[in-house]
Amino acid sequence: MLASVRTCALKGIDGFEVTVEVDISSGMPTLSVVGLPDAEVKESKDRVVAAIRNSGFDFPLKRITVNLSPAELRKSGTQFDLPIAAGILAASGALSEQAVKKLENLLLLGELALDGTLRPCAGVLPMLISTKPKDYTAVIAPDNLLEGRTASVPFITPRTLRDLADWLEGKKADEAVQITYIPPAQEEAPVLLDFSDVKGQTVAKRALEIAAAGGHNVLMIGLPGTGKSMLAKRFPYILPPLSEEEALEITKIYSVCNLVGKTVHLLTQRPFRDPHHTVSDVALIGGGTNPKPGEVSLAHNGVLFLDEFAEFSRATLEVLRQPLENGQVTISRAKETVTYPARFTLLAAMNPCPCGHLGDPHKPCTCTPVQISRYRSKISGPLLDRIDLTVNLNPVAYGDWNKNSEGESSSQIRARVIAARKRQEIRFQGSGTTANAFMTQKQIKEFCPLPQGADAILEAAMRKFGLSARSLDKVLKTARTIADLEGKEQIENVHLIEVLQYRPLDRKGVPDL
Amino acid sequence: MSISTQERLARIRVNAFLYFRADWLTRLIDIFGSAEEILKQNADTLVREAQMNPATAAHFLKDAFSVNPKEELEKTEKYGGRILVPEDAEYPQSLRQLKEAPIALYVLGSLPKENQACIGMVGTRKITPYGRRAANTLAEGLAQAGAVIVSGLARGIDSVCHAAAVRQQKPTVAFIGTGIGRCYPAENRDLARAILKHGGAIVSELPFNKPPHAFHFPRRNRLIAALSEIVVVVEGEEKSGALITAKLALEQGKDVLAVPGPIDSPQSRGPNRLIQDGAGVVTCVKDIIDYIPEPELFKLQTPPDAKTQADEREKKLTDVQKRVWQHIGSGQVTADQLVEELGLSVPQAAAVLFELEVKGLLTSEAGLYGKSKF
Repeated sequence: MLASVRTCALKGIDGFEVTVEVDISSGMPTLSVVGLPDAEVKESKDRVVAAIRNSGFDFPLKRITVNLSPAELRKSGTQFDLPIAAGILAASGALSEQAVKKLENLLLLGELALDGTLRPCAGVLPMLISTKPKDYTAVIAPDNLLEGRTASVPFITPRTLRDLADWLEGKKADEAVQITYIPPAQEEAPVLLDFSDVKGQTVAKRALEIAAAGGHNVLMIGLPGTGKSMLAKRFPYILPPLSEEEALEITKIYSVCNLVGKTVHLLTQRPFRDPHHTVSDVALIGGGTNPKPGEVSLAHNGVLFLDEFAEFSRATLEVLRQPLENGQVTISRAKETVTYPARFTLLAAMNPCPCGHLGDPHKPCTCTPVQISRYRSKISGPLLDRIDLTVNLNPVAYGDWNKNSEGESSSQIRARVIAARKRQEIRFQGSGTTANAFMTQKQIKEFCPLPQGADAILEAAMRKFGLSARSLDKVLKTARTIADLEGKEQIENVHLIEVLQYRPLDRKGVPDL
Repeated sequence: MSISTQERLARIRVNAFLYFRADWLTRLIDIFGSAEEILKQNADTLVREAQMNPATAAHFLKDAFSVNPKEELEKTEKYGGRILVPEDAEYPQSLRQLKEAPIALYVLGSLPKENQACIGMVGTRKITPYGRRAANTLAEGLAQAGAVIVSGLARGIDSVCHAAAVRQQKPTVAFIGTGIGRCYPAENRDLARAILKHGGAIVSELPFNKPPHAFHFPRRNRLIAALSEIVVVVEGEEKSGALITAKLALEQGKDVLAVPGPIDSPQSRGPNRLIQDGAGVVTCVKDIIDYIPEPELFKLQTPPDAKTQADEREKKLTDVQKRVWQHIGSGQVTADQLVEELGLSVPQAAAVLFELEVKGLLTSEAGLYGKSKF
């Protein structure tokens, strides 16, 4: 006999509908799954057999063929256990005709334990959102309940395979069907880590405020223990709150990676990812035989913090160039190509020199200029070009540390950031640009006219600091953000001068001529 | 007096033997009458006639024939330089009078004239902010007064002194510890180019492509001392190249001056010791100029007194710049400190630091700003 059941599979962070066809015919007892299943789908056979038997059904000792259609797309994930089991029950006649009919209106997603319990699987949210099954009810594991609610589709959450069969047979009431719509996005995410905890480092805080306001990437250079990671961890809380759309995007990515907790509907905090410097390029960018999002995508709409920036392998750092440029990652494998969103703010931190003491008032640096230059050259030019703000952190003097005056709180800073973002939103309306950092050449020309006297400043900066013509664009974009923070229509000279304070890493370390 | 081309080529060969002091090489030329004649000898005659040890004689011949003098000349000329021997008129008189006068001198650029006062400025490679300030102020003042700074193009004090002269677009002479076909340290390549551009010279007695070796540096120090009227030691540890130069200068009968420094700074131990031993104390450019023997030869313009100059400079500063300048004192500050301690806003602090740095009054490294002048 033949039965077909609906389920879903993932491609990137989007789902597509899959029909599971089950045919049972006489012959040698086998169970074969066709339709480009991945390893975890093939393993599903053994789980299904055990789950069916342990749920009190007879497993048909016949020739069973399972086809996953469309057959040309690769399928991975453990959500196929439930649909395959249900399909076998339907095809073998273990379910009544009325139950089989009901089954046709279901979309099943779930992994099975050997005793028939439904277990959660990855990617439920994106699969439900992209297929939006209007006419049918989704069946998901109780642990995926919140993701089902977020997707706002009708669904039921049977505990076991047996429960599902009972429901199909009408032995359980229909009230198990739930639909809950997404609650409106939270007004303001709570500040868990506050900038006022960090003593001193006013300049670095200001640089981070500018970065938050204009979407700029930041490189912090400083001695160990000057507060680089402390500042970085507080950075997400001065970013504007997530819009509903952004929150959904993040939640989808985390769902694909099976990282959405059991207690949240929607991730409302901007993500903060800080991979260790030994991270592989695949872990950073995403990929693998069955492509999975990498750290850059997990940091989407949030912050990617790379501590010990110069210790990352050069090849690993270079893969950051595409997401920094396009805000997404395209992973091409022989069999498929997937795209993950990856628009994040890069915060990088490094020591000023290999020994770590350059600029330390108490301990002399023992590095030669050549060593320093070699250390800094680990960060390639094209990558540095994508970093708009470079800030030096020096040890805080005891007097400053001991000061009673609290610095500004994160919510004060965030208020200014939000206001600056509003101005940009109005400015870039309809152009696709979201923040100053992403302005095109044409927009720079339009929105960043040089004030009077700016030529002299920029000329002096080029002569004295060896600023390249190429980095002038970055100066203009960043100056635009400072002007936005101050509510000014036009860029002024003070804004330009302030940006020049955050000029890029000097790679040569010789007296200027 | 001039010498034949053949003899010049032979001198370049003899000069390549670095394990003899220059005066021994000169003695060798005297014994055989000419460098050409030496090269005609075999190891045995060298041992017999010049009392050389057989191993040394073999080594000498090997080294002498390992260089190709024609190629040396060609390469030097390609760089726009020349190889001088003491018989050449351009060969500096002060070096010619030296007992250990180099028998060949590779020169790029132009050497100072007789009526230009040469001041040797030497010091540590591990420069402190104080040393940077002192070296920069003094070298700049000397260059403005019309003196030629002579130093060794090493890291630290040497580079700061050369750079100060170059910024004034004044000539400066670098005696380097490699052949003139190389630049050591490599990061000073731009500085070397700038020296040549502004009428200075890069000089070495080593074969064109000789890489740096520890023993090259003390050896070239005698040339710094010889070309200079006086030698100023800015900073230096107790056993340093700077003190070797000072010792050589004293042996050559030159005056040695020292810039006093903090008693707890290892880099000031050298000059402070020199002062204990009787060296002149330098507090300003005038102190140095006053020490020059026969000053009427050089027509140096005595610069305004350092304090007057500093006052002048300070007068031109705006109020907030003045506050920052005074706050920096003799130390270093970060932009953060200006914000915390002077109550400036971040943009204000940025503006002041930018303006002072563009004026050349401050230097910054890794976020620390220090004065580049007194």
